[in-house]
Amino acid sequence: MNRLLIILLALSYTSVFAYSGEGHINLGDKASELEDEGKSRDIHPSLSEIRKMHPEFLLHKRDKTLRQGVRTKRDSLKACVNCHSTSKDGEYIPVNAPDQFCSTCHQKVGVSLDCFSCHRTTPQEDL
Amino acid sequence: MSKKLNRRDFIKSTTASTAGVATIASGISLTTFAVNDNPVTKEKRWGMLVDINQLSESDIDNMVNACQEENGWGNETHSTGHQKPSWIKKIKVKDRATGKIDSLPMMCQHCEQPPCVDVCPTNASMRREDGVVLVDKHLCIGCRYCMMACPYDARSFVHENLSNQKEHMPRGKGTVESCTLCVHRVDKGGVPACAEAVSGEGVIFGDLYDADSKINQTLKKIQSTQIRADLNLNTGVRYSGI
Amino acid sequence: MNIRYQQIQGRSLGFYALVAGLGVFILAALGSVYYMEHNGHFVTGMNNRIVWGLPHVFALFLIIAASGALNVASIASVFQKKLYKPLSRLSGLVALALLAGGLMVLVLDLGRPDRLIVAMTEYNFKSIFAWNIILYNGFFVIVAVYLWMMFERRMNKFSRKAGIAAFIWRLILTTGTGSIFGLLVARHAYDAMIMAPKFIAMSFSFGLAFFILILMASYKWSERPLGDVVLNRLRNLLGVFVAAVLYFVIVFHIGNIYLAENKNVAMLLFNTNSIYTNLFWYGQILLGSLVPLLLIYHPVFKGNRSVLGLASLLVLIGGIVQMYVLIIGGQAYPLEMFPGKEILEGYGELVIYQASLPEMLLGVGGVAVALIAVVFLIKFLPFLPESLADKVADPHHKA
Ligand code: SF4
Ligand code: SF4
Repeated sequence: MNRLLIILLALSYTSVFAYSGEGHINLGDKASELEDEGKSRDIHPSLSEIRKMHPEFLLHKRDKTLRQGVRTKRDSLKACVNCHSTSKDGEYIPVNAPDQFCSTCHQKVGVSLDCFSCHRTTPQEDL
Repeated sequence: MSKKLNRRDFIKSTTASTAGVATIASGISLTTFAVNDNPVTKEKRWGMLVDINQLSESDIDNMVNACQEENGWGNETHSTGHQKPSWIKKIKVKDRATGKIDSLPMMCQHCEQPPCVDVCPTNASMRREDGVVLVDKHLCIGCRYCMMACPYDARSFVHENLSNQKEHMPRGKGTVESCTLCVHRVDKGGVPACAEAVSGEGVIFGDLYDADSKINQTLKKIQSTQIRADLNLNTGVRYSGI
Repeated sequence: MNIRYQQIQGRSLGFYALVAGLGVFILAALGSVYYMEHNGHFVTGMNNRIVWGLPHVFALFLIIAASGALNVASIASVFQKKLYKPLSRLSGLVALALLAGGLMVLVLDLGRPDRLIVAMTEYNFKSIFAWNIILYNGFFVIVAVYLWMMFERRMNKFSRKAGIAAFIWRLILTTGTGSIFGLLVARHAYDAMIMAPKFIAMSFSFGLAFFILILMASYKWSERPLGDVVLNRLRNLLGVFVAAVLYFVIVFHIGNIYLAENKNVAMLLFNTNSIYTNLFWYGQILLGSLVPLLLIYHPVFKGNRSVLGLASLLVLIGGIVQMYVLIIGGQAYPLEMFPGKEILEGYGELVIYQASLPEMLLGVGGVAVALIAVVFLIKFLPFLPESLADKVADPHHKA
């Protein structure tokens, strides 16, 4: 049983790191721009940290916002969606649609994500 | 009772390491925001005074529409009849003794002793320190016990899949929702959309505890009431003219 | 006196037919759940006014019947009545099975059943609902331990203590279930402490009715002897319980009628146009209480097993109707939001609830889960005494 668990964890970790080095295949419009300008490290100084820890960041932030009214932009899901959405033919594609930013990895590691049963999946402002 | 954030203490170490960067980055991205990064406190209690003598029926309709527009409810395509959400509604009552007819807007009354919060098994229904009652949809399991408990029929259950929600107002199938007192505006110094939709003094929004606030001063002067005051819930929404 | 317990054979065609039949109901229920959760609750008859519909009717019915089904064992262990001793194991089993069925329905009707884990990890200790979750889990554990002590010869000497613990726990559990309604200050139809004792009486009667039916069916189908002594005792007991429920219902409603603010409830009783009124008088009172009492106590039917079976069945149907009137009827009438005022617009009409097919299937599926659990477990573990013939059950009995 324990061995199985270790294998499973090892597998999921390797998949988290599977992208390290190369860029994400579908970074999203604004995020790609920032990357081209060389500014993406200002927002995510450590790629492996945000890849590993983003659920914790989001969880922490959600409680602070909802329960304590702290409305900063850092770690807000809105900000993630704003940067990481891709547009096509003048319309944004939902960020959790197949092969979009969130789902590429989540599909790969087989982890379902529950954010978007309630949260908006595209930036609010029109293109 | 209220959830302690510090049980996620382990995160502190990791966020601390990124905090420095956060400030560098915020120079770029946080300029348009009037940021409120202090937790809300007990020092305030948000409330609303509705003077129904100053509200015409169309004022109340405007309030309802403004709420729908702001929070994105009311466009559900499958829900029928009572399945449709209703965060705020217009109610018309007639006094049995005098025959006087009144119209008033009804929404979550943001009780100080909210029955919905008492009964919620998972702490999803909760009351912020500043008196705003919310549903934490991350924790809501959709048991609907809060709807049974609310004396004001203030809550709605989302009966179908939704998409295209407002950015500031996540809503989703299988969870319960109700008036949030437009907390996303209030936290940035604004007023609720319904209050804004009424010109004049029909709806006064403010801090009940602040002796200088208009709502506090008006409440001192005029006759006002809570709906079902007998239940002793000490509601944040008060009415005058009923 | 030594009672020998034995598994049932469970190899007959009838056995497999029974399992298959129950399986169909369970599959239908699971299909309904998928349909309801996939689409959302708009496909059901429930809405923002009737927030708890038919699934809750079945779920709460099964849960209170579960605690009542344990009574037979309690009478044996707590009150030391020898006659009931051989029935104890089955009694514990029926209790667990009914609870499992009820909880399944309750959970699968949640808006977010996928978040069950949240309900198990986030507790609001002010919420009677959260307490119920603890009570249900505890009931499983305690009754399981109790059963184990009855099965394991070395542990037999503790079984009385475990029985007492289980008995106390079940009283708390039913009180808890009743309080789900009793503590709702806003709802006049419920807000009354008498809810708790009323629920306990209801659990006695529904649980025993289930037990009698399962007992008679399993002995008949496994062709084991079942004497009149046992059945006559159970029959009398059932009569007492049904009468007790009737008593509480009458007291409850009289109390309500005399409270002026409860005119809604009076409306529930006397508004002959309303479906809830008709269900109350014809379903709950006539079919579920008076007719069974007649069947149980009338000398003509003395010793007639089919009539006892019919009476038990009617008690169960009446029980479901009673839960329906209580849960749905209690929500159908508007809240008294503006005392002294009449609501003209925007709120206040009587809501008619129309259960959809998936809801019904889910509810019935819960009963099927409970029954299939009993069927399998009496096949694999020795729950049933080989014989309950009069001379085994009561050695002093003179034929
Ligand atoms: S009005 Fe209803 S939903 Fe709002 S706080 Fe009071 S009990 Fe809760
Ligand atoms: S429906 Fe959600 S908010 Fe309401 S009581 Fe249940 S878990 Fe709490």
